[in-house]
Amino acid sequence: MRGLERQALLLPTLVITTFFFVVPLGLIALYSFGSINQVNFDVYFGWTTQNYRDFTSALYVHTLARSVVLSLSTTLSCAVLGFIFAYFISRQPPRAQQLLLVAVIIPFWTSFIVRTYAWVDLLQNLGPVDRFARALGLHGHIDILYTPYSIGIGILYSYLPLMILPIYVSLERIDPALYDAAADLGATPFRQFRRVVLPHAVPGLIAGIIIVGVPALGEYVIPEILGGGKTLMAGNLLANQFLETGNYPFGSALAVTVMVVLMALLFLLRKAQPAAEVQ
Amino acid sequence: MNIRRHPVAAPLSLLILLFMWLPLIVVAVNSFNTDTIMAGWGGFTGHWYSLAWNNQDVRTGLKTTLIIAVASSVLSLIVAVTGALWWRNASPKARAVYDGLIFARIILPEVVFATALFFLFLKVHFSLGLTAIVIGHTVWNSAYAAIIVQARMAGLDPALEEAAADLGATPWRAFRRVTLAALMPAIIAAGLLAFTFSFDDVVTSVFLQGASDSPLPVVILGMIRFRITPEINAIGLMVMLFTVTIMSLAVIIYATAGSLGRAGRRGSMLDMYR
Amino acid sequence: MTTTTTTAAPAVDLAGVEKRFGDFVAVRHLDLQIQPGEFFSIIGPSGCGKTTTLRMVAGFEDPTAGRVSVGGRDMTGVRPYRRPVNTVFQSYALFPHLDVFENVAFGLREARVGKAEVRERVAEAIRLVQLEGREGSRPRKLSGGQQQRVALARALVNRPEVLLLDEPLGALDLKLRTEMQNELKDLQRGVGVTFCYVTHDQGEAFSMSDRVAVMNLGLLEQVGTPEDVYHRPASLFVADFVGKANRFHGRVESGGPGTYTVAIEGIGQRRVPGPDGLAPGAEVAVVVRPENLRLAPAQDGDGVGASVVDAAFLGAVRTVRLQSSRLGELTAAAGGAAGAPVPGSTVSLTWDADHAWLVPTAETPRIAAT
Repeated sequence: MRGLERQALLLPTLVITTFFFVVPLGLIALYSFGSINQVNFDVYFGWTTQNYRDFTSALYVHTLARSVVLSLSTTLSCAVLGFIFAYFISRQPPRAQQLLLVAVIIPFWTSFIVRTYAWVDLLQNLGPVDRFARALGLHGHIDILYTPYSIGIGILYSYLPLMILPIYVSLERIDPALYDAAADLGATPFRQFRRVVLPHAVPGLIAGIIIVGVPALGEYVIPEILGGGKTLMAGNLLANQFLETGNYPFGSALAVTVMVVLMALLFLLRKAQPAAEVQ
Repeated sequence: MNIRRHPVAAPLSLLILLFMWLPLIVVAVNSFNTDTIMAGWGGFTGHWYSLAWNNQDVRTGLKTTLIIAVASSVLSLIVAVTGALWWRNASPKARAVYDGLIFARIILPEVVFATALFFLFLKVHFSLGLTAIVIGHTVWNSAYAAIIVQARMAGLDPALEEAAADLGATPWRAFRRVTLAALMPAIIAAGLLAFTFSFDDVVTSVFLQGASDSPLPVVILGMIRFRITPEINAIGLMVMLFTVTIMSLAVIIYATAGSLGRAGRRGSMLDMYR
Repeated sequence: MTTTTTTAAPAVDLAGVEKRFGDFVAVRHLDLQIQPGEFFSIIGPSGCGKTTTLRMVAGFEDPTAGRVSVGGRDMTGVRPYRRPVNTVFQSYALFPHLDVFENVAFGLREARVGKAEVRERVAEAIRLVQLEGREGSRPRKLSGGQQQRVALARALVNRPEVLLLDEPLGALDLKLRTEMQNELKDLQRGVGVTFCYVTHDQGEAFSMSDRVAVMNLGLLEQVGTPEDVYHRPASLFVADFVGKANRFHGRVESGGPGTYTVAIEGIGQRRVPGPDGLAPGAEVAVVVRPENLRLAPAQDGDGVGASVVDAAFLGAVRTVRLQSSRLGELTAAAGGAAGAPVPGSTVSLTWDADHAWLVPTAETPRIAAT
């Protein structure tokens, strides 16, 4: 395959990633330093950091902070639950492993928006969860819908398979003989767990946290549906700026901020990863 | 399943499994439920299905979504396959950039990407609508497709094309009869995956649809916003069955026809996590 | 593809061939001819250029200089798919998505051979490699040895003028390898196709080949029959590569062509056979193979004195290591049935005048064609 033909192969990828990925992102980075004419909504470019300073107004900081907290807490709960499930699967015989994996992945293949909507039905007052809780003795209603908690449940639910898979892949590598070896050397089941399982799980855990935590920060659909317009996350705020308010420079600044936060998160996690590669 | 050995993990895991399936069950059950408030079971009815089927927005939405999904899958495959072929002989630095762009496209929250693309189209006066949505979907779909195709490509012996040439095949025929043929299961699986992602997409579609017909997920979003009736459950169940079927097909094709027979390893979608 | 060349044209002719990869010279000025119908091997250590040479014949590499001809026709620059040459790859390179039948039929289909003829010729090829019954299997279901046979059938079915084999037996265990060597030799005799075989295993090449070429660092050291190469090595490298060699350094005093009088350090004057063209004063090494070094009790005055270090019994052969104060370490070999020398004892070493050979040490000859 000669040089020119090979370069031609790169063309589709080049077009898609340059014009429609890198350039747009660069554009909003640029315009985050621009301003908007309040009268005719003309967006023009001029070096200003006003947009970033607008940030510090209470509402936006609050929203951003809530996004981070929510994303972080759901990612952590996701990690815990995901780990438990992945560990359980990895200790089953191969056939059972495949079955369990399929069972947990199939819901993932169904429409994202419909599943999220299902939680509206589930979590509403007078819905199944509410009535179950009252049957258990709760007074009043659960009042969980359209609060950060319902968003949290929605995110946890949607991203759990993404957390389970990488952890499972890491754990699957463990040679069952290692458990026996550890036991042979006098380790109790708990210590076996700590010294055999945990080190192997860490790379998968970190991968899972990246795959879950980063997109969760920018979630739009789940807060829309389960937040009922009352609870905003960064994603919704961003969308509003572009689709409704039309304050593009400010929206751009918001987008850039989200990206910066993400990159910082990513950077930290990647640093933890090679150190965790214990093989 | 040795439950006794894992007193903590086992019951929790089963609860998690239940947790995963609960919404599906709710949707399925309520799609036949006469009770509109869905606070309880009111009796079996197929009414919602006929409503959904006759809803013009839904029908248009379905048609629009199908067009977008097919177009985007095809384009994504073209990008993914050409990229993978280029990658084979690329320098390590070029590869690193290429891989980094794949990673970025997958990790970046869709909402950030969608706003950026929206803004670009606005600035260059490119009209929003079907084409814009297809382009948007292709950007991230091609990344997922690339991962699958690349993984398969890595398992192919580079000597295969040489062997084909040795046996009389011109470069094009060698590519077609050997490389492409061996890649086919991965290509099909990647295409089906891309199709499903497109079919299901909300964010990019919302941003880039402009004034044109909404794709189905956006229609559903609208219906949810206005707290429309259990019609949504009926639509939901039908959509769910559809996407599950497609994805199952993809996995089956990849795992069976896809096996290259490397000692001890089953071809599996999990490979992309390795 | 049928050939209509005269019987005089070599099957493969490499003239002045050179191959560079950037600064690295893989093959230096190579002049080599392979005769039609012969089993020809190229041997040498890793990195000597043998595989590169093979690839140039196949067409996967183009020579930086020189000409490659097949069947008398210049093939320089001709793409592999247009050459009347087929290759058996080291990794077999069987197409994983095709079954055995389709793998073997691949080349025929590219040549647009008719369905009936395809079926006939594929069946014939499969019979030739003794794989009947496996036509419908996928490569992944076959053992290493079976895959190798498929690779062979796939190449031979096209009736190439030359069959190139790149270390095809490397992945097989010893017993299978020996079996396959015999099969390959029989196959080549039966089919009559010119084989060009590349390997680093001298024994393997010797057991199958009509002629052998020894390469080192991109240079052709010697070409000849296995016996020529073994008994009359052209350089010390060749002498060491194809077997164990005892060497005694010395200087030519007079003689030639054919036999010379040599003054050997530590031994004295001897008559030793050697290549033509050695002038008086030329520095040489006398190469004596272990099996030609005879041990006699110490009293016999004629031989070289040495003490026995140890003797290893290998079944068919007994190798004896010896130490001589004047000549250093030496190796002798005798049939296993002969008695075992006692370690520490002193013996007298002699050899038949005919069973030694002079190797020039002043400079390595480029080619010694026989």
